[in-house]
Amino acid sequence: MKILVCIKQGSEDGEISRFDEFALEEALVLKDRFKARVDVITAGPESAVAVIRRAFGMGADQGIHIVTRDSGFVSAFVTASYLAAAAEKGNYDLIFTGIMSQDMMQGQTGPMLAELLGLPCATGVVKNYLTPALGLVPIEREMENGCRDCLDIRLPAVLTIQAGSLLPRYPSLSNMLAAGKKSITTLAQGDLFPVPVKPKEVLITIECPEKTRAGLGLEGTLLDQARQLKAFLQEKDLV
Amino acid sequence: MKPILIIAEVMDGCIRPVTWELIAAARVIRDLIQTNRAGGKRKAAQIAVIVPAQDPVPLAREISSLTKVDVLALKVPTLVAYTSEAYKECLAPLIQELAPSHILVAHTSQGRDFAPGLAIRLNAASISGVNQIRSDGDGLLYSRPGMNNTRNMVLRPEPGFPLVLTLTPGIFLARPCQVKDPGAVMVREISFGPKQPVRMVHQKIARRENEHQALKKAHTIVAAGRGIGERSNLESVARFAKYFSASALGASRPLVDMGWIGYDHQVGITGASVAPRLYIACGISGSSQHLAGMKGSDWVVSINKHPEAPICSHADVCIVADVIDFIRVFLEQEDALQGKI
Ligand SMILES: Cc1cc2nc3c(=O)[nH]c(=O)nc-3n(C[C@H](O)[C@H](O)[C@H](O)COP(=O)(O)OP(=O)(O)OC[C@H]3O[C@@H](n4cnc5c(N)ncnc54)[C@H](O)[C@@H]3O)c2cc1C
Repeated sequence: MKILVCIKQGSEDGEISRFDEFALEEALVLKDRFKARVDVITAGPESAVAVIRRAFGMGADQGIHIVTRDSGFVSAFVTASYLAAAAEKGNYDLIFTGIMSQDMMQGQTGPMLAELLGLPCATGVVKNYLTPALGLVPIEREMENGCRDCLDIRLPAVLTIQAGSLLPRYPSLSNMLAAGKKSITTLAQGDLFPVPVKPKEVLITIECPEKTRAGLGLEGTLLDQARQLKAFLQEKDLV
Repeated sequence: MKPILIIAEVMDGCIRPVTWELIAAARVIRDLIQTNRAGGKRKAAQIAVIVPAQDPVPLAREISSLTKVDVLALKVPTLVAYTSEAYKECLAPLIQELAPSHILVAHTSQGRDFAPGLAIRLNAASISGVNQIRSDGDGLLYSRPGMNNTRNMVLRPEPGFPLVLTLTPGIFLARPCQVKDPGAVMVREISFGPKQPVRMVHQKIARRENEHQALKKAHTIVAAGRGIGERSNLESVARFAKYFSASALGASRPLVDMGWIGYDHQVGITGASVAPRLYIACGISGSSQHLAGMKGSDWVVSINKHPEAPICSHADVCIVADVIDFIRVFLEQEDALQGKI
């Protein structure tokens, strides 16, 4: 059983984007249960190698780093193309991504990667009942209003993982010590795609979201603010 | 003019209301394209809805009679329930044949699941979670949230590709009503499986019933987010909630995931949708997924350490403070007042 987890840098250096951390935890649980091998892959600048090290600390086995020069907005299609090119020959049974990234919040990289690899894909997965002997992964994916969509998916497959009750583990000292011996394959964007992959969307500008309510700010000490809140609640007949 | 296509959202054999919003958005796109073109005299783009289902004709009639738009009933005899595999397989060839400029899908658990893969199949541009559509003279621009919901990113699709959009529910509002001149209903049958190797098999939809009753009945909801810092601080938020009559304690999702509080208290797209008289968000950042569940509240108060938190744009009153300190001072003041009476 070989699992690949796609991870991305979070808002701080070396930190794994929140939902990707949950995806990695989900894979590491399967590693413990089925002796699966868990590799991680990231596409990003040189500094992104830090998230692979962090994943090693949590228990991942090998890493792939696609060194990219893209900055700012990166189209999910471009990222998915890199990941697909690097993952293609890995013969992975399962590929995990987070449900979305913290910064771009597109939620598209996983399902696009699946399509590029010709694999089935389920998003927002909160439970999996992997059964390697049957080549099957029954899953539950989250819908609106607390409902869950229950499906059986044939391996190999791509799952995007929703944060759930499993909390990502902290890197352990023994894993960190072993990390130095683990291998990281470094690929350049240009090795994978001599002709650059062209995005089909471009970022024009970044704006502050429109205010939907007044957002009246209260002034003064905590006590002043508490009094102003009380006055507001009384005026609107809310207490 | 290339047509604008909408994929109706079907669940449990019914049309989901978000479909009306997709039609409203398609009209916005059509009108923007029309005014953008020099002269603007040519015929406007046609709008059509595709309804994939086992028995789509009654659903197609419902849509056409409530909105006037033309509907293509895509009959898939084996389509017992939604799977991304079946949807992509059945929709892609039909969409290719119709060569649309836009394909509109709901940004829901279902739409988010199949739209990105469909875009790859169609060699289309793809923008998810769209919350605003406008035009800048050079063409249409699509805005979507990013950076942990603190900003909107405004994107332009490259010309020459069809564009798949998933649209955030609750933005493009529409009120469907019976019309005298319904659109045309066309039927197309397509087979999926059992000859193809089907790799995704739907089993069931697991439901939770009668949850969130306390939240739904409350006049005031005091909700805790990650900003409360520690589990033990829930007590102080609960005490604050008790200060109000007919109140309930709410929570953002991470608190439920961490096991600090039960799912019964979760507000948001994957929790309860609530609309109390007063909603007090305590240490909640205001993600789009949380806002979707409480934006219908009459009054919203936020207590958050950071003046830049997105919730501040969606609250009537913003208190910039440590939430636990503020609650303590507020309740102490009230105790003092009570003492005086
Ligand atoms: C498909 C999907 C569905 C989801 N469904 C839901 C849902 O139904 N409901 C939901 O809530 N989320 C949902 N989420 C998660 C959502 O994206 C956010 O992660 C979540 O809402 C954030 O919760 P939060 O505001 O409590 O935490 P954070 O975003 O971490 O915000 C904490 C806030 O507390 C403030 N703070 C920190 N310390 C203090 C202090 N001492 N005093 C005061 N303020 C402080 C910070 O400034 C920050 O604004 C969903 C996500 C996905 C992808």
